[in-house]
Amino acid sequence: MSKGKRLLIIDDDPDFVEGILSILETAGYEVETAYNPKDGFDALESKQYDLLLLDIMMGRGAEGVMIARKMRKDPKLREMPVLIITGIREQIAYLFPGQPMHPHFVEVDELVEKPVEPDFLLERVSALIKAAEDRKAKG
Amino acid sequence: MAKPSFSDEIANLLHAGHGNPLRTCIQCGTCSGTCPVVEYMDHTPRRIIGMIRANLKDEVLASNTYWYCASCYHCTVRCPAQIDIAETMYALKRYSIWKHVHQEGLVGPVFSETFVKTILRSGRSFEPILATSYLFSSGARELIQEAFMGTKMMLKGRMPVLPPRIKRLDNFKRMVSRVIPLEADS
Repeated sequence: MSKGKRLLIIDDDPDFVEGILSILETAGYEVETAYNPKDGFDALESKQYDLLLLDIMMGRGAEGVMIARKMRKDPKLREMPVLIITGIREQIAYLFPGQPMHPHFVEVDELVEKPVEPDFLLERVSALIKAAEDRKAKG
Repeated sequence: MAKPSFSDEIANLLHAGHGNPLRTCIQCGTCSGTCPVVEYMDHTPRRIIGMIRANLKDEVLASNTYWYCASCYHCTVRCPAQIDIAETMYALKRYSIWKHVHQEGLVGPVFSETFVKTILRSGRSFEPILATSYLFSSGARELIQEAFMGTKMMLKGRMPVLPPRIKRLDNFKRMVSRVIPLEADS
């Protein structure tokens, strides 16, 4: 299932990336990383990926949201499944004590909060990729 | 991509990846010489830039320098290497807030928190609430002085007695929730 699937992680936290990178690579995914929003979007535009793992709080603020919004406007990137992994509530919890919302930035997206359990991460990644493939097959 | 160093992490917070501007610093000290609050800082801005470049993460984050920055932008204007030093201080503030690693007992983080909370609640800032975030850190004399000044300003109509609110607050809150995917706590 995970063989040959290419994933991209855009996250500015090197330690967190190192963790999920090893989980995903052990599971057989081919993973690329970008540590800032600009490199991340450049990679999205120039290469092909099956899924994007996106952080929210990067750069000057919620730049992950800006990437997701740009993706929605791009006919090619609009279809790509996005798994948003964020520590937003922990990072700025005092400002926004509410519950995380399902953001609906693109066709298929989902929001999970850091820290992520390895099994849960792998399950969501494969489910999102499968859902995207099914949609493609239906045409 | 290779794992970024602390210096790259800070650069990533700055210009969203247009290279690392801090590498162009020539350590001339113009920023430190210009800074109006440098005497209250643990390390001068020049030194902080040097420390970031040397990846002295713990020492940089433990300093009060970036929280004491008054954001006057004088250093940015005068920097011969065109480094946006004030923005670098903001990057450090973001980094330390997001990771909860700043020094204890600083006015800056409490002030930011209170400010944003007030804005989110009513759409406007309200000085009497803001002031309490730092008032008690100063002595009794300053406290009385501030209270006296505040009362005078209220009497002259320069400061509202009740917290002001913007019109159509719901629209504003909806706007915020489109930027930050968290439900408002209402």
